[in-house]
Amino acid sequence: MKISHSWLQKYVDFKFQPHEMVEGLTMLGLEVESFEDLAKKYDRFVVGEVIERAKHPNADRLTLCKVNSGKEVQEIVCGAPNVAAGQKVAVALVGATIPHNQHDPDGNPFVLERAKIRGVESNGMICSAFELGLGEDSSGIIVLDSGAMAGTPLAKYLGQTDVIYEIGITPNRADCLSHIGIAREVGLLSEKKVRIPRVRLKESTTPSARQAKIMIEDKDGCPRYSARVLRNVKIEPSPKWLQDLLTSVGIRPINNVVDVTNYVLMETGQPLHAFDYDKLADHTIVVKRAKSGEKFTTLDGKERTLNAETLMICDAQRPVAIAGVMGGGNSEITNGTTNILIESAFFDPSSIRKTSKYLGLSTEASYRFERGTDIGITTYAADRAAQMIQELTGAEVLKGALDARGRKQKELKIKLRVSRTNRVLGTGLTKIQIKDFLSKVGIISKSLAKDVLETLVPTYRIDVGQEIDLIEEVARVYGYNNIETKTISSIDFSNSVFADRVETDVRNYFSNAGFNEMVANSLQDAATAALPGLPTVKMLNPVSVEMSTMRTSLVPGALQIVRHNRNHGNKYLRLFELGKVYSVGKSTSAESLEGFREEDRLLILMSGKPVTAGTGIQPHETDILDLKGEVEAFLAKVCLDKYRFISYDTRSALTDSTISIEINGLGAGVLGRVKGELTTKFDIDDPVFVCELALEILSKGMQSARRYVPLPKFPSVTRDLAFVVDGSVTQQSLEQTIRESGKPLLASVVLFDEYRDDRIGAGKKSLAYALEFQSQDHTLTDRESDQLITRIVDAARNECGAVLRS
Amino acid sequence: MLETIEQTKQQFLLDLSQSDTLDKLEQLRIAYLARSGRIAALFEGLKSASVADKPVLGKSLNELRSFAQSQFEARKSELDGASKPKETSIDLTLPGRPRPIGTKHPVMQSMEEMKRIFVSMGFSIASGPEIESDYYNFGALNFPPDHPARDMQDTFFISKDVLLRTHTSPVQIRVMEKQKPPVRVIMPGRVYRNEAISARSLVMFYQIEGLYVDKGVTFSELKGTLVSFAKQFYGSNSKYRFRPSFFPFTEPSAEMDITCYICSGKGCRVCKYSGWLEIVGSGMVHPNVLKNVGYDPELYTGFAFGFGVERPTILRHGIDDIRLLYENDVRFLRQF
Repeated sequence: MKISHSWLQKYVDFKFQPHEMVEGLTMLGLEVESFEDLAKKYDRFVVGEVIERAKHPNADRLTLCKVNSGKEVQEIVCGAPNVAAGQKVAVALVGATIPHNQHDPDGNPFVLERAKIRGVESNGMICSAFELGLGEDSSGIIVLDSGAMAGTPLAKYLGQTDVIYEIGITPNRADCLSHIGIAREVGLLSEKKVRIPRVRLKESTTPSARQAKIMIEDKDGCPRYSARVLRNVKIEPSPKWLQDLLTSVGIRPINNVVDVTNYVLMETGQPLHAFDYDKLADHTIVVKRAKSGEKFTTLDGKERTLNAETLMICDAQRPVAIAGVMGGGNSEITNGTTNILIESAFFDPSSIRKTSKYLGLSTEASYRFERGTDIGITTYAADRAAQMIQELTGAEVLKGALDARGRKQKELKIKLRVSRTNRVLGTGLTKIQIKDFLSKVGIISKSLAKDVLETLVPTYRIDVGQEIDLIEEVARVYGYNNIETKTISSIDFSNSVFADRVETDVRNYFSNAGFNEMVANSLQDAATAALPGLPTVKMLNPVSVEMSTMRTSLVPGALQIVRHNRNHGNKYLRLFELGKVYSVGKSTSAESLEGFREEDRLLILMSGKPVTAGTGIQPHETDILDLKGEVEAFLAKVCLDKYRFISYDTRSALTDSTISIEINGLGAGVLGRVKGELTTKFDIDDPVFVCELALEILSKGMQSARRYVPLPKFPSVTRDLAFVVDGSVTQQSLEQTIRESGKPLLASVVLFDEYRDDRIGAGKKSLAYALEFQSQDHTLTDRESDQLITRIVDAARNECGAVLRS
Repeated sequence: MLETIEQTKQQFLLDLSQSDTLDKLEQLRIAYLARSGRIAALFEGLKSASVADKPVLGKSLNELRSFAQSQFEARKSELDGASKPKETSIDLTLPGRPRPIGTKHPVMQSMEEMKRIFVSMGFSIASGPEIESDYYNFGALNFPPDHPARDMQDTFFISKDVLLRTHTSPVQIRVMEKQKPPVRVIMPGRVYRNEAISARSLVMFYQIEGLYVDKGVTFSELKGTLVSFAKQFYGSNSKYRFRPSFFPFTEPSAEMDITCYICSGKGCRVCKYSGWLEIVGSGMVHPNVLKNVGYDPELYTGFAFGFGVERPTILRHGIDDIRLLYENDVRFLRQF
C-alpha cells in the first residue's frame, strides 16, 4: 500500500530520510518495496515565464519562445498552439526526465537533450499536462497561475515535495493498512509519541437516534455498526489539498463526501461508506444475509448475483450495499444529495472474505475488512469524517453517534511467561525489559507472578491472540539481529539421511555417461497427458490449456523438448530426466494421497546422429542397440545380474520395437523406439529411442554391499565358435543354449559378430561367440575343452538348428 | 679382478658406442654376452677366486652382466626403430575420439549442494506427495479457512479439497505425524503456484523445506543454522540480516536477507536497489502446528524454514531469464 511521508508527519515527529524509513520499517517487518521521491521526479523542471513568442523561421506550426527560467532567458522551440507571451509555464530544462513522451505510443519517459529543431536550437521544453504526468491533456501546454514566480522549482509550485512509499503489508498486520498504523511503527522507530487527531464536533440539537435506526439481524456477521447523520451537505469537488493527498496515495478524488470517507480510511484504516440518507427507506439500516440468487446492482453499475452467505446492508425495504465490499447504486451520493448517513462498521473478516471471493470483487474496504479492522474505532472514524465534512461544507451534524453492537466485545488479556519467551527465542531477557518492549507497541502489561506478565492487547492488534504472538512482538522490538546467532550443539545423524541416494546415484551415472539432465514441466495439455492412456489428474483452475493436466509418463514431455531442440538445430540428443508421473488410481506408495498415484521415474532418451564419432570412425544414426547398450551398462553397474530384457510381445502405448525390463523379477519399465505417428505428431523426423524405468523398482534392485568373487587361480581357455542359424532364431536363445550346455565350466559367452550373407544360405545368419572356460580347482586340459565344445555344438544343433561354420 | 671387471665395462661401452648397425651390435653381443663371451669368461675366472673375495666379485660381475644386457637392448631397439621405414606419423593436433560429455541440470546441482550442506549439519531427507490435501497444505499449517493468508499462494485445485502443493511445508506435518521428536529434516521437492509465467516466476519450481523440533530449540539456533548454511552456499564474506515477516505456521516469523552478491550491496536491478537479497523464509514452528501433529508445545519448540532453488541457481550462473531453466535446450544444459 502507498504511504505518504508528509501525511505521516501529521501524527508523529520524525526526521528520517527516505532510505532510513526503508531500512527501519523493513526491519520491523513492514517491507518497503520501493519509494518515489516526487521532488526528484520534477528535478530540472521550473516555472518559466514566456517573454516573447515568435514564429519559427523554418516551420509554420512551431514557435520560438524566449522564456525566463529564473536565472536566465532561454530560447525554446514550442509546438503548442496555446503558448503566448506573458504566460507562466512549466519548463523542462536540458537533462530533465520527461515522465511521458507524447509521441511514444506507450508514453514512455525520456531524457530531454539540447537539440536543434528545424535548424534552431531549443534549450528546453514547455510541457503539457500529459507530459508532466499531471493529466491526460496533450493538446497544448499547461498554463500555470499568473502569480507563480519564474524560477520556482516546479515540484514546489505543484506542492509535490512528498515521498511516497510502497509498503508490502503481510496479511497479519491489518493494523498497518493506514497512515496512523504506520505512524505507530514510525513512533517505535523514532521513540516519539504518536498523536491521534482529536475530534471536536459541533453537533446540532436534533438527536440522530430519532432520525435513523440501526438493526443488526446477523450478529455474527456484524458485531458492531456505528453511523453519523449529517444534514445540509453540499456535494462538490474537494479542495485541492485533499485531492492531491488522495491522488498521491493512489485514490481517485470523486466529491467532497466520498473523498472524506476515503481520507479517513487511509488515515485510520476504518472503511466508511456514505449513503444518501433520503434514499434509505424509513431511514433504517438493517444488517442481514442476502437471499440466494438475489440480484443487486453495485455502484460501479454491475449487476451481481448474491448467495445466502452474502452479508447485506438494507434499508426498511431493500438492500442498499454489499456489506464491507461495495455500496449500491440505489443509495449512492450524487450531486443532488443533501443529507447523508455515514456507516462505520466492523464486519466478520471471514464473511467478507467469502463474499469478496464469491463475487470476484475486491475493494479497499473489503481488503481491510477481510484482514480485520479495529472494532474499537468505529465511532471515532465516523466522528472524524463528520467533523471534516462539517468543516468543508458547513453541514449540520446530528447529535450523537448511532452505535449498534452485535455482541459484547471483551478486553483481550493474555498471559506471557518470561521463561517461555527466553526459551523460544534463546535470549536472556528480564521481565522489565519485556514489559518495556511491549509497552513500545502499545501493549500494556502488569506483573502477575514472578515469571508471568498479564498483558492488555489494543483492539487494533487483531493478530495478537496468544502468548506466542506476544513473544513475536518482544522479538520484533528487541530486534531479530540482536538475538544471538547460535549453532546447533547436539548432532544426531539419522539413518534416513540418504533417502534420496538412488536419485543421486542415477544422476551421477548418467551425467558421467554423457547424458544431459533435463527437467520438464509436470503440467501439460490434456491431449499430450492422455497419450500414455492412463486416467489423468486435471486442474480445476489451470493457468492455461497448455498446463491443465498432469503428466502420466515422462515420454511426451521429453518429445516436446526434443522438438524444441530440433527447432534450434540440436539434433543429436542424449538426455535423461528424473521426475514424477501422476495419475488417478489406487495409491501405491505412502507418498501418494488417497486416490492418486505418484511415481518416480527415470527417462533415458537418445536420438539423432553425432556430428563426428572421431577420426577413423563413421558416426551412425542412433538405433535401438545404442540405447540398449547404455541401459545394459547402467543396469550391469547398479543392479549386477539382477535384470533381464524381455524382447518379445511387449505392448506399449508410446513405443514399438519395445523391450520390457525386469529387475529382480519385477517389471521396471520399457525400452523402445517412439512410435512413428507420435514423432510425426511432434514434428520429429528422426527416430527417438526412450527407456522409462520405475525408480522404486530400480532402487530395490540396486546392489549396495557387493559380495566379492574370488579371482581364478588357474588359467582359462578361450575358444571362438561361429554358428549358422535360421534367420528367425534369436541370438538370445542360441546364447542361452550355449550357456546351459557349457555349465559349469563355461565362464563367459560374448557375441562378437552377427551377419547375413547369401553365401551362408538364404534366410540364414551367422552368429560368432567368444567362449571362455575356467575351472576353480585345476588347469583345464585340451581334452576337457574339446569335450565341452562338442557338447555345446551338439546342443546348439539340437535345440536351435545351428550348424558350426567350418 | 675388480679392475678387470671395470676395464671390461669401459671397453664394452666404447664398443657399444661404435656399434652403429644391427650387424655390428650382434658382433658386440657375441663378443660380450654370448656363452663364450668375455663376461662369461670372467665368471669362469670367479671359480679360482678366494672364498673371501667371491661374494664381492660375484656381485660386481652380476651387475656388469645386467648392465651390459640392458645397454645392449636399449641400443638394439634404437637401431631397430631407425632401420624400419617410418610409419605415417600421426597428426597429434587431431582431436581425440570424442566421448559425449553429460551434465546435471543446474537446478539439480544447486539442490545437491544445498542438501549436502544440510546433511552435514545433521539433517536427514524426507519427501511427500505433490498432489496434496487442503488439510496438509493449509489447515494443519495454521491457515484458517477463508483467510487472506491463503492468497499469498495462488493454488491449483484438483477438487475442492485436493490441490497441488504450493510449498513443501505439508511434508513437515507428514514427518511429524510419523515421527516423535527430535526431528531434524529437510524436505526438497516440486511445488506449484497458479501465477503468470514471466522472466522472474514460474508455475512449477523447487523448494527445500527444513524443520528441527526438539526440547530447547530456539530462534537463536534458527539463526545459527541459516547463517551457517548461507556462509557455505553463498560464501563466508556475505553479510546477512533477519527481519520480521509473516507465515501462518511460524511465529515469530523471519526473512533472512544476504548482501546482494551481484552488486555487493551497492544496489542493482537484481536486488531492486536495496542491496539485499531475500533468500529464506523461516520462523519458530507455531504452537498450533505442534498441537495439530500431537506434539506438546510446552515441551517442544522448533524452527522451520523454506526457500526456492531456482533463484539462487540463476543468480549463481548469471542466467537472466528463469524460463531458460525448464526449456531444456541442450545448448543451455551443456554449459553446466
